[in-house]
Amino acid sequence: MKKHKVIFQPSGSRGEVEDGKTLLEAAQSLGVDIEGLCGNKKVCGKCKVRIEEGYFEKDNLESGMSHLSPIIEDEIKHIKPEDGPGIRLACTAEVHGDVKIFVPERSRAGKQVVRKAAKELSIALDPAVRKYNIDLAAPTLHDMTTGDYERVLKFLEEDYGLKGLTFDFVVLKSLQDVLRQGNWKATVTVWMDKEIIKVEPGFEERCYGLAVDIGTTTCVGYLSDLITGKVVNTESMMNPQVPYGEDVMSRITYAMTNDDGLDKMHRAIIDGLNEIIVKVVSEIREDGPDPGFAIDDLTIVFNTAMHHIFLGFNPIYIGRSPFIPAVQNSLDIKARDIGLKINPSAYIHVLPIEAGFVGADNVGVLIAEEQYKQDEMVLVIDIGTNGELLLGNRDKICSTSCATGPAFEGAQIKFGMRAAPGAIEVVQIDPETKEPKYKVIGKTDWHSHLKKVDAKGLCGSGIIEVVAEMFKAGIIDKSGRFAKDLDTPRVRKDVDGKPEYVLAWAEETSIGTDITITQGDVRALQLAKGALYAGAKLMMNKLGVSKLDRVVLAGAFGSHISTEASLTLGMFPDCPIDMVYAVGNAAGDGARMALLNKGKRVEANDKARWVEFIEIATDPTFEKEFMQAMHIPHMKDKFPNLKELLQKSGSKLEIKG
Amino acid sequence: MATEEKTKEILAKLKEAVIQYDEDASKEGAEEALKEGLEPNDAIFNGLVSGMEEVGRLFESQEYFVPELLMCADALYVGLDILKPHVTQLDLGVKGSVVIGTVEGDVHDIGKNIVKMMFDVAGFQVYDLGKDVPLDKFVEEQMKTDSDLVCLSAMMTTTMVGMKKVIDDLKAKNPDIKIMIGGAPVSADIADKWGADGYSADANNALKDAINMISSLKKLKEEAEKKKG
Repeated sequence: MKKHKVIFQPSGSRGEVEDGKTLLEAAQSLGVDIEGLCGNKKVCGKCKVRIEEGYFEKDNLESGMSHLSPIIEDEIKHIKPEDGPGIRLACTAEVHGDVKIFVPERSRAGKQVVRKAAKELSIALDPAVRKYNIDLAAPTLHDMTTGDYERVLKFLEEDYGLKGLTFDFVVLKSLQDVLRQGNWKATVTVWMDKEIIKVEPGFEERCYGLAVDIGTTTCVGYLSDLITGKVVNTESMMNPQVPYGEDVMSRITYAMTNDDGLDKMHRAIIDGLNEIIVKVVSEIREDGPDPGFAIDDLTIVFNTAMHHIFLGFNPIYIGRSPFIPAVQNSLDIKARDIGLKINPSAYIHVLPIEAGFVGADNVGVLIAEEQYKQDEMVLVIDIGTNGELLLGNRDKICSTSCATGPAFEGAQIKFGMRAAPGAIEVVQIDPETKEPKYKVIGKTDWHSHLKKVDAKGLCGSGIIEVVAEMFKAGIIDKSGRFAKDLDTPRVRKDVDGKPEYVLAWAEETSIGTDITITQGDVRALQLAKGALYAGAKLMMNKLGVSKLDRVVLAGAFGSHISTEASLTLGMFPDCPIDMVYAVGNAAGDGARMALLNKGKRVEANDKARWVEFIEIATDPTFEKEFMQAMHIPHMKDKFPNLKELLQKSGSKLEIKG
Repeated sequence: MATEEKTKEILAKLKEAVIQYDEDASKEGAEEALKEGLEPNDAIFNGLVSGMEEVGRLFESQEYFVPELLMCADALYVGLDILKPHVTQLDLGVKGSVVIGTVEGDVHDIGKNIVKMMFDVAGFQVYDLGKDVPLDKFVEEQMKTDSDLVCLSAMMTTTMVGMKKVIDDLKAKNPDIKIMIGGAPVSADIADKWGADGYSADANNALKDAINMISSLKKLKEEAEKKKG
């Protein structure tokens, strides 16, 4: 595939993209945030960008409008004279040559950053649900011995080779009217080549499914076109169970200590999901008893506690040792039985869970990353409120879960916040002067180039970066302790006499106080990263592995986490830096894959049983591994790859290689 | 008998060994103490324990963290193992015995082990039931050993609720029993509500509480010595 050079200004982000990608896709792949409210449907006109004309010597690049696909009608109606020359919609213009693009302030994404955005998947389309057009001969007195039901089945068998189908009873009750309404032309929706779950009058081609990922904190639904495999729309919301407990454990406790607790949380998530459904179908809404009627299939992943509460199972037994779940295998449940307002006769496919603490979301990660098809030793870390780890290759894979606490999500951190405008997400600290520079979400420039920054706090990826940078700059030592007698006003004592580092002075912020990193913040991060590292190490010991070929970071951070900072901190054992990837919401990817390819559902069940779950908290070596892993990057283990990386960047820091 | 100066030097060495988590120095110091004829109790309380008190302070001010704390404990145990066999039990006038464990359903015990260590050091008779301990076992063990302190630990909200039953059962059997609860989800409110006598929200506070007990124990020891003297 031919590739072209693309540069985005003012951020200066650059890279190569494949011929035919849209500017918006190029921007996303290079981490440039461009507003796209309508979801690439050329409707909102928010993603206007300016194409620079001419040859740019410094960049060695010839840029121009002629390097893009021709402008189309849908674009022209959004472009106004006051926009100036060279304006295109990023969602529409395709790259066919080198280009330099300026992203105007108003087009830069400023709203809540959806870190669970969908990425393109490469998977063969073989959905569980298919639509078949049937064109029956109108019955006459000559064939009066055949019922409507039998006519439909006969046609499906003769024309499509579908044998032994059954009818959902509710669908069957509508059959007579539908067939006559469409003048004996109808569309039949078949689930798993087994059951007819919808009959519509006339010929209908479009077919939709929804892939759902319910996190402890965030829920997201990806509406997918089952004919093209593309995501049509994405909708996310805070998990409506948050008022009943911030984490999994407190929600289980809520269910244990309140008689109607389970029911309340169950209702909250079903209602929440129905809200997502109404919003996500807004563009494709068709006639039907409910807006979501157009959705004929739904796959869903979540952690085990969210799984149990969603299904109305008592979560008490997964909340305590020995953590036994109600059911492990996948489930197919009628939408109407659980009260989800899609096609009521459609099935909800609940992906299987691995063990008491490793849920369907981790199975989603597993089938998305497919370690079991690889020879390399791969560690996959899914970072959320809990950290789930998968380690192995085609021979064997282990999984485990570690309690990382909410530090990675910005909670329990003094100035922690969610990934939203104003959150500091990228940090560099000069090792000599200890002066920082940083970027906040919603602004592409380093703060030193901006007059007003309006920083509000740090998001998870910002916390990881700042602590890694503090370590590299010698502000904290490997034990996490602040260095004494540093000649900078940025390191000072807080009101309790404990040391802290000032990342942003009050005048740079929109909150009117200095944004600082406290000793307690560093400790919280050490606990979280130590748990992940210890989990990985115990699994490596179990498999007899001494080094990793590849590390995949999945989860709440999306693709925004700095692989370099996470290696520097020692969130995982040493690995070549170019073999560390951030993949975004892999659990959601797995749910989408299971939606688009029914073979993936079988694979999920097989592999979920095949993976060996390891309980690390009871391992006699856990305490020692955990303790050593709390140091940065580690108390004893060697980091030759990190050492090389730091040397290349000119750092004077000594690391055991 | 060692000179006052020599004694001071050895005690300082033991104290520093613990603070600097230096196991070799702890071993040397303890051996030297025995060789020079120091009272083993003196070496333990004014050397090792005194060092651990400083470690507690460093932990409190967040200069030390869990790894350092555990390494200090290791250094302390090296010295303690050498000195303990030579201790002639003093009659302190108190029954220093405690039942400790992580409650049913919970398998986390790092925090519990730190607290247990402090009781060990303080000369308590410690009955450690381990982790995932059936709730009735606490009551049973307390009755069997006639301990006057029971310490319950839980790391998870879901298992913490089991503590209430243990507290109720213990208080019903023996209203004078002292109960201390701890672990990440526990709070002062919960301890109050459930009728526990002491609580610690985390390892930090657990250590502080444990040190307070040691300090009061030391006072008692001094008084006992005075009476004797």
